[in-house]
Amino acid sequence: MNNILCIKWGDKYDDSYVEKLKEQCEKNCSVNFNFYCFTDNPTREYDIQLPTYLDHHYIPSKNFFWAWRKCYMFSDDHVEGDRFLFLDLDVVIHQDLKYFFELPMQKPWIVRGWWNDMETVKKNYARYKSTPLNSSVIRWNRGQMKPVLQHVKDNAEVIFFTYPSLDNYFAHHWYDPWEDSGYVQGFPQGDIYSWYKGNIFPDDMEKNIFREDHKVCLFNNSGFTEGENDEKRIFIYA
Amino acid sequence: MMKNGFLFTPEVANAWKSAWASVGTDMNHCGRRVRDASTSSQLQCKLWIVNELSELALFPKSVVLLGGWYANFIVPLLIEHGVSYITNFDLDPDVKKLSYKFNKTYKDDETYKCYLSNVMFEPVFNIKYKSKPDMIINTSCEHMFPMTRFKQLNRGFFNDVVYVLQSTNEDKYEDHINCVSGPEELAEQAEFVDIMYSGTKTLDNGMERFMVIGR
Repeated sequence: MNNILCIKWGDKYDDSYVEKLKEQCEKNCSVNFNFYCFTDNPTREYDIQLPTYLDHHYIPSKNFFWAWRKCYMFSDDHVEGDRFLFLDLDVVIHQDLKYFFELPMQKPWIVRGWWNDMETVKKNYARYKSTPLNSSVIRWNRGQMKPVLQHVKDNAEVIFFTYPSLDNYFAHHWYDPWEDSGYVQGFPQGDIYSWYKGNIFPDDMEKNIFREDHKVCLFNNSGFTEGENDEKRIFIYA
Repeated sequence: MMKNGFLFTPEVANAWKSAWASVGTDMNHCGRRVRDASTSSQLQCKLWIVNELSELALFPKSVVLLGGWYANFIVPLLIEHGVSYITNFDLDPDVKKLSYKFNKTYKDDETYKCYLSNVMFEPVFNIKYKSKPDMIINTSCEHMFPMTRFKQLNRGFFNDVVYVLQSTNEDKYEDHINCVSGPEELAEQAEFVDIMYSGTKTLDNGMERFMVIGR
């Protein structure tokens, strides 16, 4: 079974974001799927209660690794089926999501931000900045992301202390920016782009435009943190 | 006698020329960082180490550097201090390449070795050392988790070594994820039971720097 997962916690996004994402999936996915939302406040039939066993490692004054709750999905314990596609709440889907469920699955897939200048990525690597990965869209098969969750569990204190973001953590432990390869692989160029940052460095970097021949548009700019508000909504559903 | 520099021999000059040439070409993205690693403040920090080691009559044979960066100052200073082997662990692949260029002479004669490793996740005791380390130097404590973690990961191996740790209270930089209030907190983070030296120095760049030496 194909599963599309999303996650919602706190009050940064309201319930309508989840409903809108579900509507987009129903409109843009030609294969059968189940839709689930991991949330700290389950109220609908597709909601799944978020676990909390990592929460005490979060240090509010640092606000590091603030998207740790995404890791809870990697246990695969809460949803039946073998194929998982995670989408952030603020993505815009342009093309048939069937594509993601038909990808070869030797490795899990994650967004490789092709809009990044790799010279900047390398320059800032040891400073925990400028990650080339983005966890707004992740595709994995049952069991493939369990090592990530286990690693986070085993090293939680250090990870929550060290990495400003989940994406940064991924780039340090599950990917090698110098080799452009790793335990996870990046979705190919032409699949996913960023509204705020562009598409492919350096040739296609125009911002704030839709590229409807791509599969998904991201609005996450990795600069937003828990509790912050933004005006993405007017762009997404206008 | 107080040390205030190191010998810039023809071999060192050649090695440094090669490193700087790389920064000007294939490793252009490292330029700013190499400049940052080559300031008078950086040299002050490293001179501080060898001068205090002399004061304490500590003459280690095999030194481990944690997050030693390009190690352009510390390696020649430690060699002149009588150290026979230096092993640097850093997580940045560019550091490995450039530190080998800066320290080509010592790499070639196997005095200096650099490994790619995140020392807060991977133990380093299982490396084949030329000589068992008797000192661990970490001048990057502000960039990483407290040293207790390193000790846990390498429990039972570095029991007798002397630690030299430096950090700062300067928290305006994003990558300073572990600033401390002073040398006392730095020693506390490493769970020192024997503090041989504890001090504070204001560097040329205005940064307040702390150093503790102990076990």
